[in-house]
Amino acid sequence: MDSAPTSLLQGTLDLLILKSLMTGERHGLGISRRILQITRQTFHVKPGSLFPALHRMEEEGWISSFWGDSENNRRAKYYRLTNAGRKQLKLETKRWDRISWAIAQALEAS
Amino acid sequence: MPLLVKVRSFLRNLFSPQSREDDLDQEVRSHLDLLAEENIRAGMSPEEAQRAARMELGGIEVVKEQVRDDRKSEWLRSVFADVRYGARQLRKNPGTTAIMVFTLALAIGGTTAIFSVVYGILLRPLPYAEPNRIMAISEVTTRGHLSRLADPNFDDFRDQNRSFQAIAKYSDGVVSVSGASQPMRLQVAAVSTDFLKVFRVQPIIGRDFTGSDTKKGAARVVLVSNGYWKEYLGASPDLSESHLKIDNALYSVIGVLPAGFQFPRDVALWLPADLDGENTSRTSHNFSCVGRLRDGVTVVQAKGDISSIARRIHDTASDQNEYLLKDGAVLPLQDSITGETRSPLLILLGAVGFLLLVACANVANLLLAQASVRERELAIRSALGAPRRRLVRQFLTEALLLSLVGGGLGVLGAIFGVAGLVGLAPESLPRLDSVSINIPVLLFALLLSTTVAVGLGAFTAVRTTSRDLRNALVEGGRGQAGTQSGAKVGRLIVAAQMAITLVLVIGAGLLGRSLMKVLEVNPGFRVEKIVAMEVSLPGADDPKAKATQAIFFSNLIGRLQQIPGVQKVGAASSLPLDDNGLPDGMFLLLNQNEVPKNLADFDALFLQKERMGVADFCVASRGYFEALQIPLVRGRMFDERDGADSPHVAVISESLASERWPGQDPIGHTIEFGNMDGDLRLLTIVGIVGNVHQYGLDSPSRPTVYVDLFQRPRSAITLTMLSESDTKPVASSARAILQELDPEVPAKFRTFSQVYSSSLGSRRFNLILIGFFGVTALLLTTAGVFGVMAYSVSRRTREIGVRVALGAGSREVLAMILGQGIRTILIGVAAGIAGALALTRTVVSLLFGVTATDPLTFTAVILLMIAVALLACYIPARRATRVDPLVALRYE
Repeated sequence: MDSAPTSLLQGTLDLLILKSLMTGERHGLGISRRILQITRQTFHVKPGSLFPALHRMEEEGWISSFWGDSENNRRAKYYRLTNAGRKQLKLETKRWDRISWAIAQALEAS
Repeated sequence: MPLLVKVRSFLRNLFSPQSREDDLDQEVRSHLDLLAEENIRAGMSPEEAQRAARMELGGIEVVKEQVRDDRKSEWLRSVFADVRYGARQLRKNPGTTAIMVFTLALAIGGTTAIFSVVYGILLRPLPYAEPNRIMAISEVTTRGHLSRLADPNFDDFRDQNRSFQAIAKYSDGVVSVSGASQPMRLQVAAVSTDFLKVFRVQPIIGRDFTGSDTKKGAARVVLVSNGYWKEYLGASPDLSESHLKIDNALYSVIGVLPAGFQFPRDVALWLPADLDGENTSRTSHNFSCVGRLRDGVTVVQAKGDISSIARRIHDTASDQNEYLLKDGAVLPLQDSITGETRSPLLILLGAVGFLLLVACANVANLLLAQASVRERELAIRSALGAPRRRLVRQFLTEALLLSLVGGGLGVLGAIFGVAGLVGLAPESLPRLDSVSINIPVLLFALLLSTTVAVGLGAFTAVRTTSRDLRNALVEGGRGQAGTQSGAKVGRLIVAAQMAITLVLVIGAGLLGRSLMKVLEVNPGFRVEKIVAMEVSLPGADDPKAKATQAIFFSNLIGRLQQIPGVQKVGAASSLPLDDNGLPDGMFLLLNQNEVPKNLADFDALFLQKERMGVADFCVASRGYFEALQIPLVRGRMFDERDGADSPHVAVISESLASERWPGQDPIGHTIEFGNMDGDLRLLTIVGIVGNVHQYGLDSPSRPTVYVDLFQRPRSAITLTMLSESDTKPVASSARAILQELDPEVPAKFRTFSQVYSSSLGSRRFNLILIGFFGVTALLLTTAGVFGVMAYSVSRRTREIGVRVALGAGSREVLAMILGQGIRTILIGVAAGIAGALALTRTVVSLLFGVTATDPLTFTAVILLMIAVALLACYIPARRATRVDPLVALRYE
């Protein structure tokens, strides 16, 4: 599976990225792998979608970045949630809950 | 906080793109390294790990481009890039670019200049508080014309209306004023009490009129304009010592109006209207009227209100005659001031709009030609993945660059153009002082430039990018097959251009023919070598004052006749063709034993319709007819026999003779015209003189009754001196003589030629402008035809070479190219004729002596157009015949 669903549901990728940063700062690859992990291998976010989203979200002020060293002492760019990002995560989560509830209702209706 | 972050990152992207780029590059590369490392840990060999990482990443540059695309500031940066690129494109062809910019500057500048006049006169609100609530109120005559108000009618309007919070009458004229520094002829308005309240204006010093100032016999008071106060009263804040002698009566200055208040036009002083009592006649239309609507009352409601009062007056009036009002009218003051100039101005705006279209067509053709050269470049950009909208945007950007630069230059030109227009404009054009290049006009220019840019850019873009651009690559830039449709569009544009130009030039031709026809009109008098001197004595109506006036004018004329070079001296109440005009009214055919004793008796006689006549009333001296060479048709002129105490005589115009006395001899008849000057003595008709075009060469001459200046003197007259020598010394000698006779009487000098010329002012103004637009459009179209043909020939060089190689002679080549041109010309001319037939109707009001479809004008202009266009085709066609097949085939 690739990131096709993200283009289907605008904002899903943002939500996943914000969620993956909840547990601490990560570099791009780390975020991608974390998403793969928390979605049980459903969403494999490729760099072509990931980096534009990261830069856009940084412009929005939801995440901030800094250069740091990886586990293996490689220089990598790390991202972390800002306060605005935490707020946005809550907002996106609520919105998502509402959507998934509504879709579930729709599917259950006969 | 997030806002700050956004702004900061936006600015950083915009202004330090390099560090951003480096950062992005490092980030993507480190990502690649991390991926490879991960793969190695999963057990791949280093090479394999590298390749798999690259596969997953999908291309460093592609990822970077995607990030850039998502950045907020990206569009702005790409706009900058487009602008830079566009500017480079335009610089590459400096000649073409200069032509395009100049063409657009001319068109946008011209349109802006005309718009500034239209805006200043028609659209700009009057400079008063809530100007759209100020109305002009008029009577409507039996014939449906608007007319000024008679005093009792105004009183009824004022007292009975429920629509106006303030309503006032006013009239203005020139009177002599002395007492300030030197005697002067000034524009003075007589107004009723609430005049300033209508405009919501208050004196900056002193006080407004009150009801007691304007009553009959009240102490004489006057309000002065700011300009007059500064210039002649020394801007003194203390008015208690300021007195002015106006028409021989002393007035105290009670107030100074704010700067900028100038209504009616050019007025310096405002006096109460009814100090000598009102005129009780309901048919003496002496006053204009303005009112300010009550809150919530609409113009339509006010019109209904005034209309019903007017009809009530009409139905109940005792003296029913054709001078009695039939209805009332209410118009916004601005419309009433600008009413007559509206349609000529809109015609001018339309004409300059046509010029704009013609100019844009030329630029469009040049852009198309350029774009076809660039097809290869576009194809490459497209093949490299530039989306179509990006290419379209590139064209829009270039067009915007062109038209903004052109528009900017145009506005600079318009600043001078407007000064020229205002100088050229006829005096009769109202509100000229409010014409300038101001913010709304600049906004208009900006909007216009943008519209032109979007039009041109979209047109070129659609034309250029709609075809499959790969063809351009296949064609290898030889540009043969794909350009056929492009050339067709170019020719269509030229045809449209010719059509528009034809309409414009025919319009100009019709105006020109009209002016020629007007100049052919025999005015009925001579114009050259006549010096006119306007004099007004202090006015008073009693017989004693009149006798003094008669003696004064007699002396004055006698003295003027002795000026060296002066041959004839005459005097009349008003010069023909001058703006002032003559009073008109109804006279009665009476005989000696029916003479009324007073004006009231006189009114009663008007019930006898068969004894009535209508004419203009002119006071003149014998010398007037001689100086202006108005011919005596029959009978005699005024002469020495006609003293103040001998029977009063009249000379009438030929038109009056044939209208009132058809088939009869009017000489010897007696008429009563005392309602014009208060003198009830009968006038015996002694002579008939030629008709005079009093109200303009293009207006029919009107029936006129002339009375002798020495029998019926008046205070304000114009002296006419026929002089063989220079006008200047005559004028200064005349001024000296007047000074000697009475130093307090001011005079105004003009030559009759000036009066004649300014009477044609608005006709000339329209002709000069539309003529200029027409000639410019013609030049542009010629350039357009030439350009398209020359371009077509150069694109077809190879084809022509092949034809020549296969045996086509130069005659055939010429015929082929010319044939193509002629088809275009004929299409354009046909469309133009249709357009002209449909559109010249709108200029009918400006025409004189020609119809809107004048065959001579149409034929002449069509032939001119065809000739010019053929010439423009012929030159490139000649060049085509000289194509050397060898050179042409080796061309590429």
